[in-house]
Amino acid sequence: MSAHHHSESIQHLYEGDQSKLYSGVMQHHTDVNSEESRAQVKRIWKIFWILLVITVTEVIMGMFFSHKMPKGLVAFFFLALTILKAGYIVSVFMHLGDEFKGFIITVLIPLFLFIWFIIAFLADGGFWLRMNAESPARQHIQHVEK
Amino acid sequence: MSQSTVVTTAPEPKLWAGGRSPYNVSYGKMMTWFFLLSDALTFGALLIAYGTTRFFSAVWPDANQVFKSFPFMGDRDLPLVFVSLMTFILIMSSVTMVLAVHAGHYGDKKNVAKWLLWTIIGGICFLSCQAWEWTHLHSECVSLWNSDPALLQHGLWGSFTDIHTPTDEFRHFFNRHSEAVQNILNNDPLTAMRSTHNFFNYFFTITGFHGGHVTSGVIFNILILVNTVNGVYERRGHYEMVEKIGLYWHFVDLVWVFVFTCFYLL
Repeated sequence: MSAHHHSESIQHLYEGDQSKLYSGVMQHHTDVNSEESRAQVKRIWKIFWILLVITVTEVIMGMFFSHKMPKGLVAFFFLALTILKAGYIVSVFMHLGDEFKGFIITVLIPLFLFIWFIIAFLADGGFWLRMNAESPARQHIQHVEK
Repeated sequence: MSQSTVVTTAPEPKLWAGGRSPYNVSYGKMMTWFFLLSDALTFGALLIAYGTTRFFSAVWPDANQVFKSFPFMGDRDLPLVFVSLMTFILIMSSVTMVLAVHAGHYGDKKNVAKWLLWTIIGGICFLSCQAWEWTHLHSECVSLWNSDPALLQHGLWGSFTDIHTPTDEFRHFFNRHSEAVQNILNNDPLTAMRSTHNFFNYFFTITGFHGGHVTSGVIFNILILVNTVNGVYERRGHYEMVEKIGLYWHFVDLVWVFVFTCFYLL
């Protein structure tokens, strides 16, 4: 069967250790000073600088500006940068970007549950905040705030 | 190709029929990913619980006020500087880890060992920073207040449990420029104290859980460094174990990215 053609030639390496099929042996990496290797190292350092610049931006934002901006905008800004950073780490440092598409999807799909978690729990928190604010014990604070 | 030599191979099966993994990853690496996925859900649960508590609290300590100390800098106001250093150390150690994995792809034993060593050093530096920050914050948490400083008790896990604690013991954690926040501190100090208590409990729990991961990551790194130096992976023919521990280490860095946002920025 043609689907198995490639693996047959290295089947003798299998011996129960699957990792031999998928690591190194398949990839024929030999020369660490090759063009390909250098390009990869360059890419790693590029991602490092991107992560550093994003973090410095976040810190400057948190130190000087986030108190003067609308809360929703601040949250959106920081979450967007966080997810961007996470994306770079997962796709380049963890090499998920180099895996098969099916595997990427398998790993990422369960994480979409978080969208629902966050909506549900913030709604719950909002309900409690309203309950607390409307309870008689807190009326005097409301009064002072006005 | 002429008609007569048409190859008679069977059509490729639609479903996977054994042999090579359709994902082209080994069992161990795939399971590492799934383990990390479950760990991500645990961290997510902790952070979402933190977010919910914060969302329903009328006031919340201000990160710029809580995290403004730096070792040997005394009372100087340096918000977020120390945690930025910690973040930098962790990102850096992630880079050295990915360089070790890269060297492993090429079977370059010397460089695997070198970059693993740097990763271990980075991890230990991060843990030392965290130890300092924990000690510092622990000394700021008062669980049993007493006007005699000798009898004052510092709260385990950042507890504030004594209702007689004067507001001044936690006022400095809050945004002093906001009138609404100062009003609550003046008129309903117990609400503010409860928020302080929750804030520090979550802080110690979540950074502690993360620090536990960093600690085990450092131990794993030391183990694979020993194996690398002893030539175990060279004999095995591949450095996949370095890749798997690398995945774990990057995950720890990844979690820190979220902890950093939730505790120090938002």
